[in-house]
Amino acid sequence: MSFTAFYRRNLGFFKLAIASNLEYRLNFLLDSVFQPLVNSIVEMVLWMAIFKGAQAIEIAGFTQNYYLAYALWGTFVARITVNWMYEFRMIEEIDTGSINGLLVRPMHYYEYYLSQLLGYKLVTTTVSFIFPLTLITLFDLPTQWSRIPAAMALIFYYVIFVYGMSFCIASLAFIFNKVNSLTVTKNLALWLLTGELFPLDLMPENIKNLFLALPFSCGVYIPVGYITGRIDSSVLIQGFQTTTIGLVIVSVLGFFLWRKGMKQYAGTGA
Amino acid sequence: MLAPAHKTTLKEMFKKYFILYRAFFKASAIAEIEFRLNFAMKIFNDIIWYAAQVFTFEVLFLHTKLIGTWDVYQTRVFLGVLFIIDAMYMIFLQENLDKFSEKVRKGELDLLLTKPVNSQFMISFQKVSVSCFGNLMIATGWFVSSLLNLQEVSWGRSLWIFLLVPCGFTILYSIRFCMAALSVILVRADNLQFVWYQLYRLGMRPDSIYLRWLQIIILTILPVGLIASVPARAILDPPETWVYVWSLAAAPLSLWLSSRFWKFALSKYQSASS
Repeated sequence: MSFTAFYRRNLGFFKLAIASNLEYRLNFLLDSVFQPLVNSIVEMVLWMAIFKGAQAIEIAGFTQNYYLAYALWGTFVARITVNWMYEFRMIEEIDTGSINGLLVRPMHYYEYYLSQLLGYKLVTTTVSFIFPLTLITLFDLPTQWSRIPAAMALIFYYVIFVYGMSFCIASLAFIFNKVNSLTVTKNLALWLLTGELFPLDLMPENIKNLFLALPFSCGVYIPVGYITGRIDSSVLIQGFQTTTIGLVIVSVLGFFLWRKGMKQYAGTGA
Repeated sequence: MLAPAHKTTLKEMFKKYFILYRAFFKASAIAEIEFRLNFAMKIFNDIIWYAAQVFTFEVLFLHTKLIGTWDVYQTRVFLGVLFIIDAMYMIFLQENLDKFSEKVRKGELDLLLTKPVNSQFMISFQKVSVSCFGNLMIATGWFVSSLLNLQEVSWGRSLWIFLLVPCGFTILYSIRFCMAALSVILVRADNLQFVWYQLYRLGMRPDSIYLRWLQIIILTILPVGLIASVPARAILDPPETWVYVWSLAAAPLSLWLSSRFWKFALSKYQSASS
């Protein structure tokens, strides 16, 4: 199989995801505009209330503006690094047998949805980027713009890792059929572990170090902390390292689960 | 000669729906136990969700004494009320309303519309998440223990919970149902369901943290503040009388509006089945 064929095929999947997501415009706008907007408002209001209650200029060494910037960027980044839609779709295809139509094609199931996920994330990221851009400028919140490319690189690297986890969970559907709640469990756990709820540096030191040693902190805390100036580049590099380790682990696990699932799969029901 | 039409009494109607719901419950329980991993994970999921909420506030209270007007003990009571209502939502509604859009798209709604029962009832309560009864117990346990940990508690005022929690639940149902019913008109609007969760998040924080204008919005136009904040406030620091009256009136009103909206949505419905 030539690289050109592989590239063209995946570019096709990538474009397919962009086209299919833009097809239903209202759905797309709700996803990329309305949701991050409401979410940002809720989080920013919470931080304003916390500062008002604390009657302090700084919390854990950072001013209110740092927290508002964190809430804003955090919402934006968390929307990129979460995967619900494609994971549910994969599980359903395996459970119902409609995966048969994809298995007979000259491609791997893994690449089919990875390319689609990246295409979908690219288009939603581009559109929803308007929010942090506008609000940060408007309220003059702390942001180091020169750090955004490196942070975005880590974010999309982490998306591949997240997809690896999705692939493992979806492969479990070959064995257990209904595994949707595993997706919910994973995403709820990530909600806490990524630092989406609050900056990880607010936690007691030992818990914070534990969370930072895991790749999940690259889902929100590390890129957002780096953009907003809470952390330096050494933590970002550490993020790349932990994500790489995580990626290797989920890839190996996914490989074995898929192989086991394929052996067990009867292919009926389509 | 035709026999005179039999007019169904309220008692007969109640009995009919009770029997129907019992059948739904039985069928749901059997279906859920069939997939044991899924069953166990559902219970586990809500525990993680509760833990995330508690953990967030506990960490925030390490750095501040008050959030809005409540301290850590009062916020725990608020979370208890929120967990109870959420557990009720998970048991009775979540499974049904989250799949609403899919039912419309796949044409399954047609089948429900042909049944000789209220279609809103059918689509809202067909599935029961039996596994989430465990979550209700955990939520109630959390609520009671956080109430006992309050420095001073008025047990008389706490009785409001029996009135205001059902009201909050009814309001939650009505808003969520209307959001779901929009998919009858818009067909492909899956993300509308996620928008609901974002709006609901406004209600998942004590209403006292919001600016006055936003507080009024979440108590009136978009009454997510009535779901957990008002019942919790009734115990912790009683709100003005109009808030009680409004909360009690908003429940039947929102239910009636949801029924009207459902009829309107059905008038726009174009069957999706072949």
